[in-house]
Amino acid sequence: MDWSALHVSLTLAALTTLALLPVGLALARWLAVTAWAGRPVVEALLLLPLLLPPTVIGFYFLVAFGQGSALGAWLAASGIRLVFTLEGLLLVSVLVNLPFMVQPIQRAFAAVPHSLREAAWVSGLSSWQTFWRIELPLAWPGLLAGMALTVAHTLGEFGVVLMVGGNIEGETRTLSVSLYDKVQGMDLQSAHVMALALVGVSLLALTLVLAFDRVGQRGRALQER
Amino acid sequence: MTGLQVQLRSASLIRLEAEFDCGAGELVALVGPSGSGKTSMLRAIAGLWTPTDIQGQIRVAGQAWLDTAAGVQLSPQARRAGLVFQHYALFPHMTALANVALAAGPGWSGADVQTLLARLGLAELSQRRPSQLSGGQQQRVALARALVRVMPRPITAHASTPETFPGVLLLDEPFSAVDAPTRQTLYRELAALRQKVSVPMVLVTHDLQEARRLADRVVIVDAGQTLQTGEPARVFASPRNARVAELVGIQNHFEGYFFKDEPGWGRLHWTDVASSEELGLDLAVFDKNKINDGTRVTWVLNGEQVDVMADGEPDSAAQPGHTRLRCQLLEVLSLGEISLCTLRPEALPSQTITLNLTSRLLRRLDVGAGSWVQLLIGPGALHIMPVRTK
Repeated sequence: MDWSALHVSLTLAALTTLALLPVGLALARWLAVTAWAGRPVVEALLLLPLLLPPTVIGFYFLVAFGQGSALGAWLAASGIRLVFTLEGLLLVSVLVNLPFMVQPIQRAFAAVPHSLREAAWVSGLSSWQTFWRIELPLAWPGLLAGMALTVAHTLGEFGVVLMVGGNIEGETRTLSVSLYDKVQGMDLQSAHVMALALVGVSLLALTLVLAFDRVGQRGRALQER
Repeated sequence: MTGLQVQLRSASLIRLEAEFDCGAGELVALVGPSGSGKTSMLRAIAGLWTPTDIQGQIRVAGQAWLDTAAGVQLSPQARRAGLVFQHYALFPHMTALANVALAAGPGWSGADVQTLLARLGLAELSQRRPSQLSGGQQQRVALARALVRVMPRPITAHASTPETFPGVLLLDEPFSAVDAPTRQTLYRELAALRQKVSVPMVLVTHDLQEARRLADRVVIVDAGQTLQTGEPARVFASPRNARVAELVGIQNHFEGYFFKDEPGWGRLHWTDVASSEELGLDLAVFDKNKINDGTRVTWVLNGEQVDVMADGEPDSAAQPGHTRLRCQLLEVLSLGEISLCTLRPEALPSQTITLNLTSRLLRRLDVGAGSWVQLLIGPGALHIMPVRTK
């Protein structure tokens, strides 16, 4: 077992989820209620990482933040290096995980009947109080599902990690990349352990997602009664 | 100025022309078919429906909630409107107590809210969530939540007269989703409530019987317009025009002409044929000096005021102004104690009259479909309205 790779993977998954939660929450809530005509465009952009090969995303990241670009050069001059660092990996991980975080949360907010918002306003609650006291507690299964999906997907990410992070031990070598190394080096024993660990974590995360989804559905069914 | 005054006009997605008021302690029912705009009117009062082109004013206890001329438009939060939603819209993640406490102002303690719930028969259920409550119980929680919003503080115990509060209670078809026995209980609770709390109460319903039973006054709404306002009995007996008659479910409305006769009396030509009088189709009516001589009218025959006699039976006690009309029973639909009967006047076979006759009467007269009977129509059974012009 490559413990340092496990550490990098878990750190990346935790940081990605933490960074993405407020962004995803705001985006999801806005998408769930907005009547703006441009909404499908935003939704399409958000879903794009699901369809694009990771290499495309990695490539554009390198183009944007590499030493050759103006932005990359300016960042380097400020002492910030994003290519082949955990920080850079975190940034791109946040981007590719947007659909995994936003989708379940958006669905959860959209499932909150509008009459409940109106009932809250008529009861004297401001829009902000309505969000905190009514909408968020009802949408929490969606939040948990989004977080579980993000963790699982980050742990399993491979292509983008390799393109953007390289394969630096203790910095950007994640469990999935390490697994690739072990197979290349014919160390199948270690590969088995790591593969099994990834399967276990992903299965756990998916089980949680489905369990939360069921809680959410039950909540919705109750609201509709 | 107490009570609620509403004057609204909008031409956006939903066309609206509303004008009605509701005194403190009064219960006014907005009645109309679905899609007539009655719920929009209620939502406008609560501040939930605010089309950009809305014009007019909504005043409650002298305070303007909406006054487009003065640029006043309060948010829903700033209006003291207690709204009972059609499907209650209780917060599913909160207990009954929390649902109500959330809407209660600083004048309410937790114990006060608990007392209110107990008064509504929910003492044992205050810690339950909406999903653990029956439809009727949910509705009472919704009513409690609306009440604490209307009342800045609890009612004083043992007050002999109803207390007045500066809000309105709005009820959006609250009785539609519960079964009949529960509805009866809730009717009683609403009546009991009105003895304690004096605020304007506006009820939206499509159920005429409910409106008739609960409301002090009804407002007939159709296609976004308030057509007629008045006491239920009065609106049902004398609809202002043919559309109102149709909406309040009056079956027998006909066309005709009104002519003045001796003072206090008029004649109603059933049809526009000149031979109406010869056919015995001129009906005597009261002349209230509201309709001009020779006016084309819509008129309504109130079936409850019509006497039915066996064919050929002599008029033993001829009353002045009563007209006999020989009719054939076309159809008799038995609905238990009542039979829905369709009759065709001998002199005017193109028209039909619908009457609800007791099955007992039909047995006594020994008549059924195809038989002939006589109708005795007095001036009290006739109501005349000018034809509505658009």
